[in-house]
Amino acid sequence: MSTAAVKNFPIVSGSSAADTRPAGDPGPGRKSRTPLSVVRTAPRKRRAPFVVLCFAMLAVALVAVLVLNISVSTAQYQLVELRAKQSSLTKTNQDLTQQVQSFEAPQNLAAKATELGMVASTVKGQIDLSTLSVTGKATPAVKGAAAGAVIPAPAVAGQQTVPPASKAADAKGADSKGPDSKGAAADKAATPDAGKPAAGAPSADAAKAAAGQAPAAAAAATPAPELHGGSVPAPQQKVPGQ
Amino acid sequence: MAEKTGKAGQGKAPNATKRLRLGLGVMLTLLLVVGGKLFLVQGLDVGGMAEAALNSRMTSAILPAERGSILDSRGTVLANSVIRYNIVVDQRVNTKTDSYKRLEQTDGHEKLVDVSRDQAISELAAALGMDTNAVRDAVTGQQPYYIVAKDVKPDVEDRISKLQVPGIVAEGVSKRVYPNGAVAGGVVGFLQDGTTGLAGIEQTQDDQLKGKDGKRLFEIGADGLRIPVGLDELTPPQNGKDVKLTLNSDIQYFAQQAIQSQADKLSAEWGVIIVMDAKTGNLIALADTNSPDPNNPGLVAAKDRGTRSVTAAYEPGSVEKMMTAAAVIDEGLASPLDKFTIPPTYTVDGQTFSDAFTHGTEDRTLAGIIGYSMNTGTVMAGQRLSKEQRYDWLKKFGIGEAPDIGLPATASGILSPPDQWDGRQQYTVLFGQGVSQSTLQTVRAYQSIANNGVMLQPRLIDSYVSPDGTEEKVPAQPSRRVVSDSTAQQVQDILESAVTEGEIKDAGIDGYRVGAKTGTSESPCDDGKPGYCGYTASIVGMAPMDDPRFIVEVVLQRPKGSIYGITNGPVFRSVMSQTLRTYNVQPSTGEPARMPQYAK
Repeated sequence: MSTAAVKNFPIVSGSSAADTRPAGDPGPGRKSRTPLSVVRTAPRKRRAPFVVLCFAMLAVALVAVLVLNISVSTAQYQLVELRAKQSSLTKTNQDLTQQVQSFEAPQNLAAKATELGMVASTVKGQIDLSTLSVTGKATPAVKGAAAGAVIPAPAVAGQQTVPPASKAADAKGADSKGPDSKGAAADKAATPDAGKPAAGAPSADAAKAAAGQAPAAAAAATPAPELHGGSVPAPQQKVPGQ
Repeated sequence: MAEKTGKAGQGKAPNATKRLRLGLGVMLTLLLVVGGKLFLVQGLDVGGMAEAALNSRMTSAILPAERGSILDSRGTVLANSVIRYNIVVDQRVNTKTDSYKRLEQTDGHEKLVDVSRDQAISELAAALGMDTNAVRDAVTGQQPYYIVAKDVKPDVEDRISKLQVPGIVAEGVSKRVYPNGAVAGGVVGFLQDGTTGLAGIEQTQDDQLKGKDGKRLFEIGADGLRIPVGLDELTPPQNGKDVKLTLNSDIQYFAQQAIQSQADKLSAEWGVIIVMDAKTGNLIALADTNSPDPNNPGLVAAKDRGTRSVTAAYEPGSVEKMMTAAAVIDEGLASPLDKFTIPPTYTVDGQTFSDAFTHGTEDRTLAGIIGYSMNTGTVMAGQRLSKEQRYDWLKKFGIGEAPDIGLPATASGILSPPDQWDGRQQYTVLFGQGVSQSTLQTVRAYQSIANNGVMLQPRLIDSYVSPDGTEEKVPAQPSRRVVSDSTAQQVQDILESAVTEGEIKDAGIDGYRVGAKTGTSESPCDDGKPGYCGYTASIVGMAPMDDPRFIVEVVLQRPKGSIYGITNGPVFRSVMSQTLRTYNVQPSTGEPARMPQYAK
């Protein structure tokens, strides 16, 4: 046999080759081996929970990112919605403010007062509240007295029911019902739009009809006719279309 | 066997290594090429490609600044900007779309509805209030940009956008609106093309009102969406400042209505009323006849679009006599009760002067000369001043010096140097002929008397209000003392006596002490013809005389009819009493001055 083979096969001495004693039984004068028993396998390293934990963290991270994105997007939508609201509120505010200003304009107030039959007072007196003394000779206003010159109403396009202001009771004043009124279109055709440049083939917005009506009377701030002691009737509001 | 195998293995190994090395070499070379190119492109940017890419991505959008408003002293808006829309159409898109789908609300739930082009056009025409055929013409064609309607209000624009007509887009524009119209219209001015001021405050304060446009620099992709992580620089727009005037629009309206009535009644060429606060120099009203409505300035003639109260210079006439009286009193050359014996006509240096009314030889006081507006007496008293003194005193009262109130073309008047005065002019300047000034200059001169001798420059612009609300008041210009306090007091008494004892009794107001002076001057012909055409009738007064607060001047140019029958007294009275009432001025206490008009 080769030396390699010698290594492979343990030498069995003659005495132990014919040994008939049962295994595990130590021979005389020999140390006894540890009795063999079933060895419980050592608990293998559990990898499953770790993997599950990793996946769970991944999922949580993804969900967190998703939630953040959703909330940012919702906020963005809200922002756009609020901006649109702000813009429309601003426009409504402007529109209402303009209406208030139109009612507050001094010439419109005066015209409305005349419409109601009011007359400007002339001579007034003063009462001193601390001494209750009266100074000045207050005189009652006389109905039907000469109204004097009328300052034309502001020619602001699209204002509603602004009373006209003209001695000659010409058609005047801004458009009364806004751009949808049919009368505005008819008026537009009737009066030449002297002040504003033409807007090309399509006619201008009906809101400009207001200004178109104004030239007739406003240009006539000409000398008043002789009153001959008579009174000037209150200006009549012209209804568009008539 | 084993030996054979060993030898064969050794032979194979070098080939594999060689191939490996070859492969590695090729890959390294390629890597070098790629790395080099990367360095060239990214590091050195040889072709300028990064910059070119950035340029094609970068867009700048202008954020327009809002134009400031013009307000009166109480905050009433005289001019402001509002949002309006131009409805524009891309004709190509609209022409080729025969029908489209639109989301509509029917019975509570939304449905996609088919809308034909005709229906869309008729709905659009109804919303705009235009003729359907006109709208059809407007939206048909090949132009990418065509304006269908201008100046559409936001609620109409909202309705139109709900229609979702293909090709129709609403462009926001800013529109200037003047809620008070012709009241203070000439002072406020108007815009040219909706952007630059062309007259009045809109013109002179254009820089303050305009503000500064902002800019937004951002990157935009080829699909038209803004790149969120790209460059985004925002320069916010600076809105214009609001200009607050000293005018009171109620009194402005009252004065405009009063002068318009008077001018219409007497068929005058034009008329002017100025109301000024004597204590501060604030202009409360600058009323003109035929005032333009800035919403539509083309309606009045071009010559009416300014403010004659500050631009029209004319010979003032008898109102100048106040300055002559103040001069002689301040110089100590005469006092209000000095006796002057006045013949029917007065001749000096070969020049003869007569009065508006015929009289015999009269013994008058200086107060009477002013109270009855006698040219003869004025020349008699005024000749005590040397020519130089007459000139200096007129200059002191601001004649020839244009007031600076922030309105364009403010007149400075004409006051020629004394060496250029001829034999007659040296005397006529004493009663306001041969010199010209605007109504504002006359009011300023009277203000110095009302303010006890200290002249304050007139103020029209009170303050500027920035967009964040801070108000910066315009500082008052330096004042100057024109006459002494006692002179001013004596001249006030003379003016008051003109109302109580003199000719101007119709300027009196019940309950208040009033001082006034009328002026009637011959008006030089306008068209270059020599000589005089017509008259300028004026009256200027102040109240209450215990402590004058307001000055009102009423001027009427070339009224028709006999000038001696015309009086502006009632107009002055109504405007002055309206002003006194508006500002709650206490009725006068104490005895009014009643200087004798005739000397004993």
